[in-house]
Amino acid sequence: MTISIGASVHDLSLCIPDLSPRKRDTVLEELAARAHLAGAVRDPALLHHTLCLRERLGATAVGKGVAVPNARSIAVIDPRLVIARSPRGIDWKAADGIAVQLVVLVLSPADHTIEAHHEFIGRAIAFVRLQKQRQKLLEARDAPAMAALLREFDA
Amino acid sequence: MSEGLDLLRLHDLHLLEDELADPGTAPRLRRLGLAIEPRAAVTRERERALLGVDRRWRYLYERARGRYGRGVCPVKERSCQGCHIRLPTSVTNPSGALTLCESCGRILYWG
Repeated sequence: MTISIGASVHDLSLCIPDLSPRKRDTVLEELAARAHLAGAVRDPALLHHTLCLRERLGATAVGKGVAVPNARSIAVIDPRLVIARSPRGIDWKAADGIAVQLVVLVLSPADHTIEAHHEFIGRAIAFVRLQKQRQKLLEARDAPAMAALLREFDA
Repeated sequence: MSEGLDLLRLHDLHLLEDELADPGTAPRLRRLGLAIEPRAAVTRERERALLGVDRRWRYLYERARGRYGRGVCPVKERSCQGCHIRLPTSVTNPSGALTLCESCGRILYWG
């Protein structure tokens, strides 16, 4: 199953250019709430619990200022990405010690297979793998500009 | 509703345990640069969530999980998303009470 990540940006509220919390768990809470408001999540508290537990199993910071928290949960209605930017950086316990400025939350419904969920995470990581792309995301003016980058990548 | 929440947590914990038990998970996540540790933390959480669930519902959950791989199933437009049967109008979810799909026996999540 190949999941298009472009579908995730039809709702611009899923692109957040200026995250204000600086603590990882508070950031996850805000992202879960955004996904809930966008209609992609049934229960943000349950999703937050699952996301925090996943972090305890191993930080989802992949280095170079990027974190890819993820969950396969009954709380999720449709597969979605939530992309957020923190200009001040978040301490995500990354192996390289760099504060996280880009967060890509990957959400899969419970009925998606493990392989499909990992493939979706892989697509999300591919989106931010290149330094040039990360720079463009960090410099994007606003949410529509961030969404346009995602659509361009997905094309 | 706390019992329902514990049941939903239990469901997600089982999903995570299944993911960790999958032999393909560790190499795939390593390739993606994501570290993941053994299952002890999930097992602990699962045991904690189990304590919050009444014995009867625990039994029904485990029975459905044994049969279908998942014990809880969302409801969408009054249909059980497990067996896709339209639920009778008598089946409701007053104040978040737990209910069962009379067709397949899965616990219904009305969220």
